[in-house]
Amino acid sequence: MADRQNGAQSPEEQVRALYEEAESGTAKAFEALVNKPSFGRLLALSAENTAALTRMSFDAVDLLWRNLRLAGRADIVRLSKQLHRTEDKLERVLQEVEKLRDEVARERDAAGSRS
Amino acid sequence: MSVVDPLAGLVDRVVRFPVDALEYTNLLLTTDDAVVGATPREVVWTHRQTTLYRYRSSNRRYAVPLLLVFALINRPEIFDLRPGSSLVEYLIDEGFDVFLVDWGYPDEEDADMGLDEYVCDELEWAVRETLRASGAEELSLMGWCIGATLCAMYCGLDRGGERPPVKNLVLLTMPIDGRGGTYANWVGNEDFDVDGVSELWGSVPGGAIDFANKMMKPVTNYWTTYRRLWEGVREGTARREAYQSMAKWVADNPPFAGKAWRQWIRLMYRDAALLRGRVRLRDRSVDLARIDQNVLVITAGADHIAPRPGTMPFFDLISSEDVEHFDRPGGHIGLVAGSAARKELWPGIAQWLAERSES
Repeated sequence: MADRQNGAQSPEEQVRALYEEAESGTAKAFEALVNKPSFGRLLALSAENTAALTRMSFDAVDLLWRNLRLAGRADIVRLSKQLHRTEDKLERVLQEVEKLRDEVARERDAAGSRS
Repeated sequence: MSVVDPLAGLVDRVVRFPVDALEYTNLLLTTDDAVVGATPREVVWTHRQTTLYRYRSSNRRYAVPLLLVFALINRPEIFDLRPGSSLVEYLIDEGFDVFLVDWGYPDEEDADMGLDEYVCDELEWAVRETLRASGAEELSLMGWCIGATLCAMYCGLDRGGERPPVKNLVLLTMPIDGRGGTYANWVGNEDFDVDGVSELWGSVPGGAIDFANKMMKPVTNYWTTYRRLWEGVREGTARREAYQSMAKWVADNPPFAGKAWRQWIRLMYRDAALLRGRVRLRDRSVDLARIDQNVLVITAGADHIAPRPGTMPFFDLISSEDVEHFDRPGGHIGLVAGSAARKELWPGIAQWLAERSES
C-alpha cells in the first residue's frame, strides 16, 4: 500500500504496462511487415487469384443455371445494364425538359415585366 | 503491499467473468441494431445507384447550401453517425441547408462507372439538383477522403471557361498523391494486374477493400480494438452506442465500381496524374489550377490512409486566394467523426463556412 502511495505501480499495473508495450511493439512490427513490397506482391497475387476463382465459380454456377433454362447472374447483369442505359437516357431527357421549362419561365417573366 | 488486494481483484474478476463475457458478446452481436444515419432526410434526386438527400434545417441562416460528398468506399452515413455525434445534425443546427450524395452499392452491372461518370455525371448532376432544390446560385462542397478528391476534380474540370457553381470547397483528409504510402507498395507496382482484377471482379467487393484497409494496421484492427472493448466492458467504461455505431459503419462496405477502381489506382498510386495535370475525364482536362474557390483543407496528423504529405502539394497547385489549412491530430476518420471533433473541429468548419455563406 505504501508503494502505491509513493506512486509505484502495483504488480497488475506493471503486467498490464508490459503487455501493452509488447502489443504496441508487435503492432509496429506488423505495420513494417505489411509495408514491404514483398508483402504487397503477396497481397496482389492473392487478390488476382481470388478474383479469378470468384469468376470461375460464378461462371460455373451460371452455366448450370443456363442449362436448366434459368436466368443466371450474367443475364441479370445484362438486364441491369440495359436498365441503366435507359435510366441514363431518361435522366438526360429530364434535364433537357427542365432546362426548357426554366427558359420558358424566364421568357414569361421577362415578357410580364415588359408589359 | 498486502497480498489480499490482488487476490481480491482476481476473485472479483473471476466472479464477474460470465457477466462481462455476456455483455461483451452482446455488444458484438447486436452491432447491426445500432442506429446509424438517423437524422430525418428526404430524397431529392436519384440516378442509377446515386441518391441525393436533403437535411432540412428548421433555423436556416445561410443562403449557400452545403453538399456533402463521401468516398466511393464505405458509406456516407459517417457524416451522420448517430444522434448527438453527427456532423450533419450539428450543421443543420447551425443553420446550414445540408445535402448529401450517396453513391449507393455499385454491383457488377455498375462496373462501367468510372471517375468520368462520378465526376462528370453524378457529381455534376447532384450539384445541379442541389441548386434547383435550394434555389441558390452557388453552393459549398465538402468532400471527405476520395470524395474530397472527386470534389477537387470537379472544380478543376475544363468547362470551356465557365466556372463551376461552387463558392466554398472544404476538403477533409484528401489524398492527391498516394505514392508514398502503404497502398502504393501494394498496388502501385505495374506487376499488379489492376485491369485483370477489375475485369474479373466487375466491381471490387467491399470486403476486399475493407480487408486491405484493415491490413494496413493489422494488429490494431484485428486485435487491439477488441481487446480494448473487453477492457472497457470489464471496467464498465465501454460506450455501447459509440462502439456499435462506428463498428456498424466500418463493417458496411459497398463494392468499388471496377472502372473507377482501376482509374483511382493509376492516378493515385502510380502516376500522381493529378499533380501533373494529366487527368482527363470525358476528354476534358482536370487542372487543379482552375480551383479558385474559397478553400479549407483539413489534414490529420496520424492519417495512415491519406497521409498529410500526400495532400500538401495541393496548396501549390490551386489559384484560390482564400485558403485555410486545419492540421489536427487524429486519424483518417476519427479526426472528423471522433468524440473530440464536436468540441473543436466542427465549430471551426461551421465558422469558416458561415463567414463565406451569407449570400
